[in-house]
Amino acid sequence: MRNLLRLIKFAAILIWSAFVVAPFLWALTTSFKTANGVTSGATYIPFVDYQPSLGAWKGLFGSGGGSIDIMGPFVNSAVVTLSASLISLILGTLAAYGLSRFTYKAGPVGNADLTFFFISQRIMPPVVLAIPFFLMLGLFGLLDTIFGLVIVYIALLMPIAVWVMVDFFNQVPRELDETAMIDGCNPVETFWRVILPNSKPGLVVAGIFCVVFGWNDFFFAFTLTFTKTQLLPVAIVSLNSSVTPWWSLSASALISVAPLILVAFLVERYLDKGNIAGGGK
Amino acid sequence: MAKIELRGLGHAYTFVGGEAQFALHPLDLTWEDGGTYALLGPSGCGKSTMLNIVSGLLEPSLGQVLINGRDVTALGPIKRNIAQVFQFPVVYPAKTVYGNLAFPLVCRQKSKGEIDRRVNEVAELLNLDKFLQKPARSLTPDLKQLISLGRGLVRDDVAVILMDEPLTVIDPQLKFSLRRKLRDISARHGHTLVYVTHDQNEAMTLAEQVVVMDSGRVVQMGTPQELFENPVHPHVGYFIGTPSMNFLPGRLHGNDVEVLGHKVGLPTTSELSGVSEILVGIRPEFISLAPRAGKKTIPGLVVDVQDMGGFAILSAKLSEDCELKVRARDHVPPVGEQCHLDLQSDRVRFYLDNRLVN
Repeated sequence: MRNLLRLIKFAAILIWSAFVVAPFLWALTTSFKTANGVTSGATYIPFVDYQPSLGAWKGLFGSGGGSIDIMGPFVNSAVVTLSASLISLILGTLAAYGLSRFTYKAGPVGNADLTFFFISQRIMPPVVLAIPFFLMLGLFGLLDTIFGLVIVYIALLMPIAVWVMVDFFNQVPRELDETAMIDGCNPVETFWRVILPNSKPGLVVAGIFCVVFGWNDFFFAFTLTFTKTQLLPVAIVSLNSSVTPWWSLSASALISVAPLILVAFLVERYLDKGNIAGGGK
Repeated sequence: MAKIELRGLGHAYTFVGGEAQFALHPLDLTWEDGGTYALLGPSGCGKSTMLNIVSGLLEPSLGQVLINGRDVTALGPIKRNIAQVFQFPVVYPAKTVYGNLAFPLVCRQKSKGEIDRRVNEVAELLNLDKFLQKPARSLTPDLKQLISLGRGLVRDDVAVILMDEPLTVIDPQLKFSLRRKLRDISARHGHTLVYVTHDQNEAMTLAEQVVVMDSGRVVQMGTPQELFENPVHPHVGYFIGTPSMNFLPGRLHGNDVEVLGHKVGLPTTSELSGVSEILVGIRPEFISLAPRAGKKTIPGLVVDVQDMGGFAILSAKLSEDCELKVRARDHVPPVGEQCHLDLQSDRVRFYLDNRLVN
């Protein structure tokens, strides 16, 4: 009975892994195919079914930058995502600590309402925000610029940081703050010297969320830029012309997910250990 | 090292219709310099509220806190220079044991050499010297609690050490040695120590003065012996002593109080005119078993005997709804047998409207 259960579990995991990995394999093999290998029916085994070629990759990285510019948008995306995530994380963490530890009141509006206000920014459909963002960026001459995108992305990412960090700080025993104050810290020092050094797990989770959402955003990158500033998702989609170049598309898609996979591997070990709950009890 | 005075201090967390719902009713209390005090009472009686007000984590709704005669009511914890140990051990998980102990001094910008000297001194005192370089979160709860205490002790100018049920999570064996260590330290350094607990043994063994609290009020403050011998309120009698004090309904009859028709003495107070019923209290320790019925004895039926090793706790039924607990050493009659109880008349206490009236 027990073995049967194990068998079912492993089978389920296997099927699910195949389901997840299959698109990557498909993209990987396609990126090494020529136009012929893709269009003349399904082919699977390299060297037998089709002749592998580095054409697509050369197109992206060949001498002189290749025929398709993917590295420019890659750098743009990295700059926008990282700076917006960092700023969101800093502001969001400060806001979250305040919301978790202090009581705010303005008439009937209290802490819970403020927290909901942050989260509600993500509940709103992005389309609703697109036009105001477009008009406002236009007003300040920030359309089609990296700086403009960073501002918009901060607005999009900070609610996530606040959301994750409020939850995290609420789980940090309050006695830790009280002890720090009795040991001689003022509220700012308490946050800076005691709470923050113990908040790595929360910061990592919030940071990953910010980076993933920022990196993958297509809608705002598409609506708020024209030609000068292009982010990676937009650049990849714009490869699509009358004849879809599946090989270059696959290669650039792989490039675009590579950083996220790398990040996931690097930070995975932070997620399960170093819980701050060890502070009390 | 300071004298703490609470003047008209009260606190309410909630107000219903503008009226304060006191968690701590307004009270006056003085803790002398260098004394050890225990706040004793059931959960939710206001002990922790009082402690947090003294440490400055909570601002009182009413009254003042004075440390060495200086009004500190409006000052934050840092200005009061107190140490507080909480129920659950709190350590800074990202720091080593050394880093934890050094933190209060680092916050006060002491020199490196002084920090090093103080930390090593305190670590030695608390037997933590072996662990100094270990991460604090890897230690057992009792060692973590020692760190919490150590952070209070590294500041040699600390005014008062407040402890909020610090031994709750420690196992009984260690509790005993930690309690002794606490008493040694406070005796040696002359710190004023205020210790919150709901365990009467802890309160009685640790403190010179015990403050008994109930539902936000101080019921009695006194030495353990005073509390044991002269509880001013039946609640103190219940709360202190194992088993707790016996209470019997008494009737005032001429010059005597009678319990079930037996004379047990008379209160010396003069405010008894017009009173016919009175509550009679007697400790199980002050009842003896007479070998045979006598003039002063009260007959009872043994309904239960609990052997506690050195002594036995005997329950005797005097009437349908009246039972007495007796602490007996030898010749304990078996269950179902008749016994004769002799109440030491100088130990009998009388209560009128929940007040001692001897």
